[in-house]
Amino acid sequence: MLRVENIKHAFKTGNEWTTVLHDISFEVKEGEMVALLGSSGSGKSTLLNLMAGLMKPTEGHIYIADHDIVQMGENKLAEFRRKHIGFIFQAYELITSLTVRENVELPLVFQSVSPSVRKEKALALLEQVGIPDKADLFPSQLSGGQQQRVSIARSLITEPSVIFADEPTGNLDSKTEEEIIAILLRLNQTMKTTFIVVTHEHEVAEQMQRTFSLRDGYLIHDLNSEPDTVPAPGGAG
Amino acid sequence: MKIRDISRMAWDQVKRRKVVTGLCMTGISIGCAAIIVALSIGQSAQVYVTDEVNRNFKMDEIIVSPGGGIPSQGNGSGAPAESNDNLNPGKLTAQKLKIIQGLNHVVAAAPFEDAGYMQMLTIDNKIADVQIKATDLRMLTKFGHKFKQGGVTDLPGMVVLNYGATLGLIDNETRQKLYERLGAEPFNQELMDQYNSMSILPTEMYRQQIQMQATDYSNSAGNIKLSSPLQVGGILASPEGTDDLRASYEKIVYVSLETAAQLAKELSFTDTSMTAEPEEDTYKSVTVKVDSVDQIKQVEAMIQKLSLSASDNLYQQEQLKQTFDMMKMAALGIGVFILVIASISIIVAMTMSTHQRRRQIGIMKVLGANMGQIRNMFITEAALLGLLGGVLGVVFSYLIIMGLNKLVGTAGDGLNFFIPLMTIPVGLAFAIMTGVLSGIYPAISASRTDALTAIKRD
Repeated sequence: MLRVENIKHAFKTGNEWTTVLHDISFEVKEGEMVALLGSSGSGKSTLLNLMAGLMKPTEGHIYIADHDIVQMGENKLAEFRRKHIGFIFQAYELITSLTVRENVELPLVFQSVSPSVRKEKALALLEQVGIPDKADLFPSQLSGGQQQRVSIARSLITEPSVIFADEPTGNLDSKTEEEIIAILLRLNQTMKTTFIVVTHEHEVAEQMQRTFSLRDGYLIHDLNSEPDTVPAPGGAG
Repeated sequence: MKIRDISRMAWDQVKRRKVVTGLCMTGISIGCAAIIVALSIGQSAQVYVTDEVNRNFKMDEIIVSPGGGIPSQGNGSGAPAESNDNLNPGKLTAQKLKIIQGLNHVVAAAPFEDAGYMQMLTIDNKIADVQIKATDLRMLTKFGHKFKQGGVTDLPGMVVLNYGATLGLIDNETRQKLYERLGAEPFNQELMDQYNSMSILPTEMYRQQIQMQATDYSNSAGNIKLSSPLQVGGILASPEGTDDLRASYEKIVYVSLETAAQLAKELSFTDTSMTAEPEEDTYKSVTVKVDSVDQIKQVEAMIQKLSLSASDNLYQQEQLKQTFDMMKMAALGIGVFILVIASISIIVAMTMSTHQRRRQIGIMKVLGANMGQIRNMFITEAALLGLLGGVLGVVFSYLIIMGLNKLVGTAGDGLNFFIPLMTIPVGLAFAIMTGVLSGIYPAISASRTDALTAIKRD
């Protein structure tokens, strides 16, 4: 479903190159729920952005549903993202001028889906995330947890191959965090959607099926992987 | 992405960003109103002046005079080919007049000869300065004249007055006193008002007896001669749209050619026996009325083949057209200049708006919007601003034109400003085009926003 092959990524600062990801390779199967665990500066968000096609790696390949997204141009990538990728942000990133339902529908607007179909799907998803009564409210009228539920519903509306969640509970209190993780787990179970969740919290990572641990740009630990799928720091590649 | 969705999102933004919308709409509306008003004033003035010129210069008439032209080489013009005294090159003969009357597109042709200015005297001793025109009185109606009273008879000494000739007839003594007072106090408004009101005072002239009077100004004695009595057989109606004061400026007495010859004999102060008698059945000038202005040149060409001169007033129209075309272009230029200035405000406002919305654009790109979709959203928004500005501009234009009409209402004699319907789509098109053109740079800038940078910047 998702295959990362020998990804290396470096930034140029002044005359020097700083490598933030070193030869990362791993694979995620369809329907899996994976945590990408690491402290601040470990490179986990960079890896997430690379996998979502928001950045290009310096080296390596990323395959989603057998398509190498590294080779795609901006417009093709936009089209691919539209069909195959869902996104949940730490800061929800809802459009304040649109209602909750319109926010959820937005990815379908870019796919030219008819309003009636969009509405039906959006309302069904809002039901699934537990806020069916908030459809006509604006984001500013919701709590943080409710806004993240909207963000989750929005990420699911295109029925993507994979959903990338960047610190989805980072802005929430512990009770709401539990609720959001519970929703993600339930959706993973019921909809069989693949989730890649970036987090720095072990408690969150522990609830996922697998956890990849990143430190200083190296993938150092895959809690549930076979030993040969994750190269050790400074290993081959 | 469906057009409806793009439009709705653009509309949402337009509604939401009231300051940007207000600024852009104001700029565009001023430019659009400038174009519409400028074109409307140009068009209104053109219609007014053209009407005036048509009324005064009679565009559908040709003045034919002896001489000139191209001698006919055959009967291509419809003229008989045989040589004849009546077809003598250069002469405007009765036979040539008949040929002209028979030409295609000719509605009427008749001699209209100016027999000079004289004083018309009524039996109750009222007097007015009139112009004498000698013509075939039966043809008057064919030249577009309508009779208010009476008509044409073949009786000798019968004349027809135009409407102006029935106005402002006053007795000689009163007239003389008024002229003297006006000479002494030319800026006395009360006197002027009195003069104006006397100028339009109507007199019942139908079936009245009149005489023509000529004064010999060549010597200090000022000898006066009176013609034999003439009978007013008809009064022409005033041309449409001409008020009494204006009509009073033009006093014409139409007489038959025979009456004109008789008046010339009776009122001449020179020895007529010494002057050459005009040739029988020849005319100094013939006026030809054509069924359409478009046919004027064609008819003229045929007349010239009879070795006659033909002239028309079309050059007046041409000159007017050129003048007004230049005026319209200048007006359009001013409007476009204002729109260009307005477009700068839109570019600035939209670019600011793009910058403020970078995060939103980033989210949309992450959610799958491509560059084209982002670009289209911004251009649609700009076009919508253009359209709204244009609609506001149309409203402004109507208000300005209403104001102008009120302003010139009392002073503008017959001048009425109006907005030709065609200028509205022109103004709107310019407004939308300005919106779209101004929106292109911000739209491209927005579409190139890097999604990740936009989301992470805060």
